[in-house]
Amino acid sequence: MALGGYANRIAHVDLTNGTVEYRGIPEDWARKYIGARGLGVRYVFENGPQVDPLSPDNLLCFMNGPLTGTEANMSGRMAIVTKSPLTGTVTDSHHGGWSAARLRWAGFDGVLVKGKAKGPVYLYVQDGTVEIRDASEVWGKGVHDTVRFFRERYGEKDLSVIAIGQAGENLVRFACWINEDDRASGRGGTGCVGGSKLLKAIVIKAPKKMPKAADLEAWKPAHKNALAAIMHEQNITSPRKGGLSVYGTNVLMNITSTMGALPSKNSMLTSFGPGAEKISGEYVKEHILVDDPTCHACPVACKKEVEIKEGPWKGLRMESLEYEPAWSLGANCGNDDVNAVAKLIDLCNDYGVDAIETGHPISIYMEATERGYTNGDGGIAWGDTMAMVELVRKIAFREGIGNVMAEGADATAKHFGHPELAMTVKGQGIPAYDPRGLKGMGIGYATSNRGACHLRAYTPAAELGVMPFGSLKVDPLAWKGKGELVKIFQDVHAFSDSLDLCKFSAFAEGVQEYAAQYAAMVGVEFTADDVLKAGERIYNLERYYNNLAGFREGSDYLPARFIQEPSTMPGSQGHVCELDEMLAEYYAARGWENGVVPESKLRELGIID
Amino acid sequence: MQVNFYATLRPIVGSRTVQFDVDENITVQQLVDAVVTRFPRLRQELLNDNGDLYPHVHVFVNGRDAPYLPDGVETLIQPGDTIDIFPAVAGG
Repeated sequence: MALGGYANRIAHVDLTNGTVEYRGIPEDWARKYIGARGLGVRYVFENGPQVDPLSPDNLLCFMNGPLTGTEANMSGRMAIVTKSPLTGTVTDSHHGGWSAARLRWAGFDGVLVKGKAKGPVYLYVQDGTVEIRDASEVWGKGVHDTVRFFRERYGEKDLSVIAIGQAGENLVRFACWINEDDRASGRGGTGCVGGSKLLKAIVIKAPKKMPKAADLEAWKPAHKNALAAIMHEQNITSPRKGGLSVYGTNVLMNITSTMGALPSKNSMLTSFGPGAEKISGEYVKEHILVDDPTCHACPVACKKEVEIKEGPWKGLRMESLEYEPAWSLGANCGNDDVNAVAKLIDLCNDYGVDAIETGHPISIYMEATERGYTNGDGGIAWGDTMAMVELVRKIAFREGIGNVMAEGADATAKHFGHPELAMTVKGQGIPAYDPRGLKGMGIGYATSNRGACHLRAYTPAAELGVMPFGSLKVDPLAWKGKGELVKIFQDVHAFSDSLDLCKFSAFAEGVQEYAAQYAAMVGVEFTADDVLKAGERIYNLERYYNNLAGFREGSDYLPARFIQEPSTMPGSQGHVCELDEMLAEYYAARGWENGVVPESKLRELGIID
Repeated sequence: MQVNFYATLRPIVGSRTVQFDVDENITVQQLVDAVVTRFPRLRQELLNDNGDLYPHVHVFVNGRDAPYLPDGVETLIQPGDTIDIFPAVAGG
């Protein structure tokens, strides 16, 4: 391959036959789809959109981008890409930490896994090779014990372990991969796909070996400018000064609640009132924060390690009390006990279930209880933390009502006879922004290619005025312009997810910085317009895949609650989400016909010849 | 008048809620002036060189960011209104 930057080595693992082959990346694919998310989607597309997500034929991709593991800031991200057993769409879910960098340092851009093993296995990755090894000793263990087992076996130095827990083994549809105890590739059920293949873990042993840029002279200013933007005190990424660095992602809890944009009690409310403060980043910092861990090449350190100081879970240390899961298992479930929130998230990480998704079947059960819909299935009160702990276990082991909940929010709501209780799009639960108070999230959720998601188009950056250097601020309650705005965000994020840089880089860097770093690393001419075009191509490929998988007109929607039930809380009182208006604007900007990519657009973007 | 502060502003003012001894019927802008007068370190956090609120700073009146109110920062604060002031925050 003529492109620099890449390892140009992908391991193709066939678990059915027990073989590993090593191949380069098709150069045309690398140029068009960049890496990580984009390239992973291209491989999944090649595998066919009709595949049953839980069949051996589904392809599970662990993908890096051309900046992964380099000197580039925030370049410690890995994309796990597959067809989702939760949504039936193509999905990609990213995690931070060091596993992505170590995969690159071990000499790989990605590991593609197909087939199904005869018994539990893990992949051992080291120095340009991937071996399939017996995982019977860790099958049945949680993520924490699995990580500990491999650390003892191979030594902690230079080691990363990405693992599934019991939930993945038991095919919970929103089971996930957890990296290094706490870093989740949470969304879309990628861990369920791992479980279906009897793949327990990816163990990577690789000392630091930073890849060099193809154009070193161009790399120096590109890297310097990006770093300067991240460090600038006007941006929230600013180390030890910006809100993201000081409080972590959970700095959002109070503001979304204040402005009537925090979905609470299964989105019956748009604010958690005084409860928000008690599970907020500010409260955490004051009461239980003990450390500020970080990821590869990141000066921001948004991870916040906490230790529970009292109560039944005293002594528990964990580092993922993030905004999204704290919302899902907190405000969404009427739970304002920060210690319980920490415990519940840690349980999700140990069992290996998406902590965002897990709150959905639980809050549905709570609302069903309140409304008298449970029909002999017992009940659970809002904020009953001990019962929540038990429910998470039941989900992971598919026990009792947990067996229903393990199928996802839609299945849970349907089980109670009230599908309208599911706050989902394409089967995936919404994250922590109520689209009645942050309208951009409404069109973002509806048109996300992987089901409801905040990370396909992080419009709160504009709606909260935290674009790089204050470059854009828009009214969170206005709908006009949001369709076009979401399209731009989706394209930019599709590109950065393919580099693969942390989404938070977008609070400081823009398309110019992305283009300059990619161009220097790979050694090609590349402009800001090229960034947008590549992002658009990736987004359209995903949509094309979904169209072929059966998602056509009517597949971009929101739960009726957000469209028909006005907010009753300050900040967004009286507002619903004007989805139809935004959708028309969005489809016009995309050049799509009712959610379907026309052939002319596919040709224009070079997706088909 | 009570004003709630969040995130990196809170260590500067020393608590979540601060009581300001100001006249009734002042505007949002006048309240911001009173805030930076009492806490001079907040000036650089809230205001640009022209003395205007940074776009990433939020002064909420009953949950609505003041610039989006019909009278913007000239909005008169009513008795019982809830005032919340945030620096730049995001994550997700």
